[in-house]
Amino acid sequence: MKGSEKIKHLYWRAGFGLTPREWETRRHWTVERAVDELFDRASQASALQLDGLTENRSVEELKKLRGKKLDQAKNEGKLQIVELNNGWIKRMVDSRESALLERLCLFWHGHFACELKTPKPALAHLNMLRQHALGNFRDFVKAVARDVAMIRYLNNQQNRKSRPNENFARELLELFTIGRGNYTEKDIKEVARAFTGWSSDARGEYVFRSRQHDYGVKTVFDQSGKFDGDEIVDLILRQKATARFVCYKVYRYFVNERVEERIVEELADDFYASDYDLAGLFRRVFTSDWFYAPANVGTKIKSPIDLMVGMMRSLDVQFGNPKSISFAQRILGQVLFRPPNVAGWPRGKNWIDNATLLLRLNLAESLYNEAEVSFQVKDLKATSASRRLRKMEARTDFQPLVDLYGRGTETEIFTALKDYFLVGSAAIQAQQLAPYVLHDRTENYLKSVTLRLLSLPEYQLC
Amino acid sequence: MKRRNFLKASTLASAAAFVPQFLQAFQAGRLENSRTGKILVVVQLSGGNDGLNTIVPYRNDRYYQLRPRLALKPEEILPVSDELGFNPSLAPLRELYDQGWMSIVNSVGYPNPDRSHFRSMDIWHTASGSDEYWSTGWLGRYLDHHCTGCPAHHALEIDSALSLSMKGQDRTGFAMSNPQQLQKTANNKFLQTLRDHDHHDEENVAYLYKTLIDTQSSADYLAQRARRRRSRVKYPVSAFAKDLKQIAELITADCDTRIYYVSLTGFDTHANQRNRQGRLLRQYAEGMAAFVKDLQQNNLLNDTLILTFSEFGRRAAQNASNGTDHGTANNLFLMGGKLQTPGFFNAAPNLDRLDKKDLIYEIDFRQIYSTILDRWLDSDADRIMGRDFQRLALV
Repeated sequence: MKGSEKIKHLYWRAGFGLTPREWETRRHWTVERAVDELFDRASQASALQLDGLTENRSVEELKKLRGKKLDQAKNEGKLQIVELNNGWIKRMVDSRESALLERLCLFWHGHFACELKTPKPALAHLNMLRQHALGNFRDFVKAVARDVAMIRYLNNQQNRKSRPNENFARELLELFTIGRGNYTEKDIKEVARAFTGWSSDARGEYVFRSRQHDYGVKTVFDQSGKFDGDEIVDLILRQKATARFVCYKVYRYFVNERVEERIVEELADDFYASDYDLAGLFRRVFTSDWFYAPANVGTKIKSPIDLMVGMMRSLDVQFGNPKSISFAQRILGQVLFRPPNVAGWPRGKNWIDNATLLLRLNLAESLYNEAEVSFQVKDLKATSASRRLRKMEARTDFQPLVDLYGRGTETEIFTALKDYFLVGSAAIQAQQLAPYVLHDRTENYLKSVTLRLLSLPEYQLC
Repeated sequence: MKRRNFLKASTLASAAAFVPQFLQAFQAGRLENSRTGKILVVVQLSGGNDGLNTIVPYRNDRYYQLRPRLALKPEEILPVSDELGFNPSLAPLRELYDQGWMSIVNSVGYPNPDRSHFRSMDIWHTASGSDEYWSTGWLGRYLDHHCTGCPAHHALEIDSALSLSMKGQDRTGFAMSNPQQLQKTANNKFLQTLRDHDHHDEENVAYLYKTLIDTQSSADYLAQRARRRRSRVKYPVSAFAKDLKQIAELITADCDTRIYYVSLTGFDTHANQRNRQGRLLRQYAEGMAAFVKDLQQNNLLNDTLILTFSEFGRRAAQNASNGTDHGTANNLFLMGGKLQTPGFFNAAPNLDRLDKKDLIYEIDFRQIYSTILDRWLDSDADRIMGRDFQRLALV
């Protein structure tokens, strides 16, 4: 495979694709250099922030509010969630930020799937993901167990010695660490006991309520002791199956839905031997020869966020108002902070049905034309049955593409654009597009070819 | 310019000219073998309809104690049995009820109910247990098991997006809010030419092209069928009624869709419920009455079964804002010409026995799905549902 194809593949899978300018420089880089660049930048990334976060607005305080004041407080919270959502999308798009870190956080957001509804725990949760995305998986899981948004999402506040709630324990085993088939129902009950009293307070901070904690002897994986939550995590990670489960998931997300068992086994051996070092695991994935095998290149169906962020990077898309970004996420079927359930987002073909496919194929053109999108968002909390049309308020900028490629012949422009936008071997030829693009001016040719390429099914893949 | 006109003319004149050979043969066959089986229409009331103020236990003192300001007075409701009566907004359904075209199933739910809209709707869509996370819907799995060779629109949702219930592992239902608009979007000239080069070995590329081609053929087919018949029944003016009319016109035009799916939204009535729910129930009832009449006049009511559900009912007691909060068990309606137990299928919910102030379910909704899959759609319910639920004498 050509070096530049490898670079394109790497940046799509480890990031969200390259801007036209980045592509023109980095296409000549070696994989090693590019991987170093990705990891260096990730280590310099800063935490997310939210201006004017209503500090410590407590549940008690909210409960005292009535009528308009309550609505106002709730509305403030909603707007901050929208702001946080947009802030994260902007980081994904901004080429000065760490694409690798944002990509990993998106992966972990689907792995430790959690609904984020209130600003303060949401911000803390996202920064927890950022802090551990490339750290040690053991610390990561222990941080997740103390994460307020997660504690609330999985009812661990109701997990008390007198009346254990198994929700967190079940998902910890089934979805976050070791996976089905490696534990018993009895294990779940015992794990739940170890996390009793791990709770959150009214200010939205983690608190350990010792009076609700069960200090007794628990037996998990046939080992007995007065385990607390941290010791349970250690026990779970002592099982090799946990390393295998994580590597399996990483492979399916970053490499291919069709898993090469042998490779996952090798990854798991190393991951386990490194005591769950995530940076090592990901570096190994991105530098392995098999990562660049043709079967793994240009064969992953982009998630809606991948598609949207990739397009925003390429065409420098600026959304008119914050709600437009949320609207785009909703119609395409992936809303940050709102995974469908604790199992996270489904992958691959699951994104595609007749309705989403047409929207996806037409997305670039709708953004370019600021089209009115006749789409009724399914809203279970809607207050009426009315249906609204929404306009995609967005601006696109073709100038970087024009600057780079605008002086060539039609054939040169077509080849350069195809090379930049499509990953893998797309069959499309310039002659096939000819009747459907503009030939009057070079700039119009470039724009119309771009829009056509972005509406090809092949552009849905990376 | 000429070239463009030529292209335009040819695509409009014959969409078939652009369809690959194998699809053409398939389409021709389809036109001859039109609908042979029965039809299922699913109506989703989104937001959690308050069942207790829909089918009202107007002789139950407990009901009036639980809802001092929200309860409907005995003189307001339309009595249909000694115990239960319709919300006045359901008046248009009275005739259906009297004709024996309506079954009301009380206290439908599932074990360990979830009060989140999203989670509970997912449970209803996937038919999973409340501690399981499935990514396929019950109707989607029906398509997986029974639909090799079916057209993409075998299960059709009148909406701009497809519900989880309609998504299977390998097959999905089809979403469309308006046939003419869909045809316009799907069959622009550029997307048409893409039909011609669908020679792809890679699985996902092939899947995308196949979905596109199927969408285009279904868009053509549905637009053509939708033009064929105009309903003679007068429908009320509402988006919901328009959707129902669309479905009736497709059914009477012998469209080969077997499952239709449609939603009415806005039932999340935490405050000032009375007027809002009344308005929505009126839209529902007027629309359904027209729809059933339409089918009846075309002798199609015996071939049609309509299922109406909501993701949960609401709390037995009202809240402080004259509304109700998220609850659990609820009633569910079936309509059609071939009901086995018209009227009330079971007794009114027991308001004296509540679980943490919520109604207790008596019938698992998956029993109803299983019954419909088995006895109406002639399929293997146990395989689709993943376990054996006891069937009910509904159809």
